[in-house]
Amino acid sequence: MDVVIADRIQFAFTVMFHYLFPITTIGLAPFVALYTIEGARGDAEAERAAAFWTKIFAINFAIGVVTGIPLEFQFGTNWAIFSATTGSVIGQPLAMEGVYAFFLESIFLGVLLYGKGRVAPGLHAASAVCVWIGSWLSAFFIVATNAWMQHPVGYTIAAHGRIELTSLPAVLLSPFAWWQFVHVLCGALVAGGFVVAGIGAYYLLSNRELALGRRFVDAGVIVALVFSVLTVFPTGDRNSANVTQYQPVKLAAMEGLFSTEKGAPIAILGMPDTQTRTLIDPIFVPDVLSFLAYGNFRANVNGLDAYAAQLWPPVELTYYAYHVMVGLGTIFVAIAVLAALLLRGGRLFRTPGVLWLLLLGMPFPYIASEAGWVTSEVGRQPWIVYGLMRTSAGISPTVVSGEVIFTLIGFAGMYFLLGVLFLYLVLREIAVGP
Amino acid sequence: MSVAAFIVIACMLTAYVLLDGYDLGVATITPLVARTDREREGSMRSIGPFWNGNEVWLIAAGGALFALFPEAYASSFSGFYLAFMVVLWLLMFRGVAMELRAHFPSAIWHQFWDACFAGSSALLVVLFGVAIGNLLHGVPLDADGYFAGTFAQLLNPYALMVAIFALVTIALHGATFLVVRTRGAAAERARRLVPMLWPAVLVLYVAVTAATVSERGIGWTWIDVIPAFSFASLAGLLLASLHKRERRAFAASSLFITTLLVQASVTLYPYLVPALPPGRGGISIFTAAPSPVALATALTVTIVGLVAVLVYGTLVLRRMAEKFDV
Repeated sequence: MDVVIADRIQFAFTVMFHYLFPITTIGLAPFVALYTIEGARGDAEAERAAAFWTKIFAINFAIGVVTGIPLEFQFGTNWAIFSATTGSVIGQPLAMEGVYAFFLESIFLGVLLYGKGRVAPGLHAASAVCVWIGSWLSAFFIVATNAWMQHPVGYTIAAHGRIELTSLPAVLLSPFAWWQFVHVLCGALVAGGFVVAGIGAYYLLSNRELALGRRFVDAGVIVALVFSVLTVFPTGDRNSANVTQYQPVKLAAMEGLFSTEKGAPIAILGMPDTQTRTLIDPIFVPDVLSFLAYGNFRANVNGLDAYAAQLWPPVELTYYAYHVMVGLGTIFVAIAVLAALLLRGGRLFRTPGVLWLLLLGMPFPYIASEAGWVTSEVGRQPWIVYGLMRTSAGISPTVVSGEVIFTLIGFAGMYFLLGVLFLYLVLREIAVGP
Repeated sequence: MSVAAFIVIACMLTAYVLLDGYDLGVATITPLVARTDREREGSMRSIGPFWNGNEVWLIAAGGALFALFPEAYASSFSGFYLAFMVVLWLLMFRGVAMELRAHFPSAIWHQFWDACFAGSSALLVVLFGVAIGNLLHGVPLDADGYFAGTFAQLLNPYALMVAIFALVTIALHGATFLVVRTRGAAAERARRLVPMLWPAVLVLYVAVTAATVSERGIGWTWIDVIPAFSFASLAGLLLASLHKRERRAFAASSLFITTLLVQASVTLYPYLVPALPPGRGGISIFTAAPSPVALATALTVTIVGLVAVLVYGTLVLRRMAEKFDV
């Protein structure tokens, strides 16, 4: 196997598996913190909710931490030239993630998990808030790192070819990074909302823990509603605008737009085929892509034909991932609106059909988040740093394909075991209940 | 400024070895001192609230190395590819064992994770020892500063000796920590372990130091007063332990390890990855550092953050550190 492909598969596999867990910790952290605070104020029911969600959070956090360790070091092991060339820029937010976010998260999670009854209730609740802040800061730094690879700013190219940092604020305050960060946060909060509502629905449908079940459904649906809307607008819209402006070839691949058009249509369905350079069996809405991209129904949108084929990202994967994300995002808004309307007067709690929908909906925000990242990362190809450095130029010169395949198999085995353990323990905690 | 960056990395790694060292040490001695399920749970609980934060020192040091010396990060991590992957897997096993053991009340489940916990921790210490050994020994590098040796070459006699030294030193560190944190039969056994491990640490320290001096061909300088501190802290450790001054024994152990890492850093300086044979150069703090602007930014941001961590970490974790009965 080509070593670049092996390196990419390994990174994609380890990062996608890892990301399943931060989605939950980012999305659940506010629930854990708010229930812990209410519990500390004397609400006994919230205290039980806090204990329950802290357990779920802790299992997620544990798997998230251990699967995150390889990522911090994989840049060096598998992408040595990339690391040596860009380290002075992207090492920066990565180091900050360690120093500013991981310590905060880990130290206060220790207090949250082991400190109940040993430290004052106020400090215990404050720890939950610090874990929340830590998990969001961590998300920010890692998204800022990625955003720089998507849209490099605040750097200069030194004489020996190294990319050197000139301005840390430019990297951290880049609008590209902030819109991406807020979008990622919203996606994780949709997942958090759906998980809390889904598990609440599970208790209601099982006719146990009715009071807590209602509370979970109530809180989860509200969060899912607010953030599923925000995921689409403005955050999704702004990210599309950034792609349109800075990565037009990615936009063309996302939309399956092979030929440049005035009044470009948006494809709701269809199968892109790179051999014939057409979208097979499409369902189009005319002119809408031009409007979404440029605010004008007759605007010119560059298709893939405007770029050399070597500059195309893998079209099929980018297209499908994007459509999965957008399709699911739309469905989340619909489910959340329906559930929220039924919340008035508590009708939702007596509507098993919608409770089932919430229960079965739980995995889908994860799929949507992963699909979003696939769109973003596969769509970035062939660049590892957009416009500056090719992915194939970034690999480690001393690491050969055989080694990468060996460690990839190792990771696959390890993560299979972790996945089984995780599901077993989480399902057990849910079955045992609060 | 490169020198300051070197010191920052050295301090972060020292903090890692001191802090996660006691976690790994407790795990390593657990099969020797904790006989029942309850006792093994007690030794895990002694490090439970701390291990994760301690491990962050390693992750953060990795991030800081990335930002401060990108070329050293790239060359060493890709060069020691397989060794590094094994370290990552062991770190994962250790973490999972720590976190998942308590989630299921079954003796079989506990026994499995106890074995993973002890085994992965002890192996980690050995591999870290091998890594330090190879850095001190020098590494075969090609013209671009990338590793040009084989995996088997990393397991040379000198590096293996450093690894065994690391294992007994960390075991001793863990024993002094367990005695500080817990009361009961396991703590008593850990206390009795101290005078048994002590002579091995002493002998290996002398042997490793002698071998390092001959390997690297270092002349005598003012820095050679450090071993005096090493011997003094090692003696203090034994005395404090015999007089049941538990906290002092742990402090002495920490001081001893610090002096070791200072010696290692001084031996390496100005190299991050010295080439083999000695005197052939290597990746130094001057060749691996980025532009002054980047370096200054990374240093400022890292130092400010670490000071904050030290302040709130100490304030908060002190409240969690009371002694408990097993």
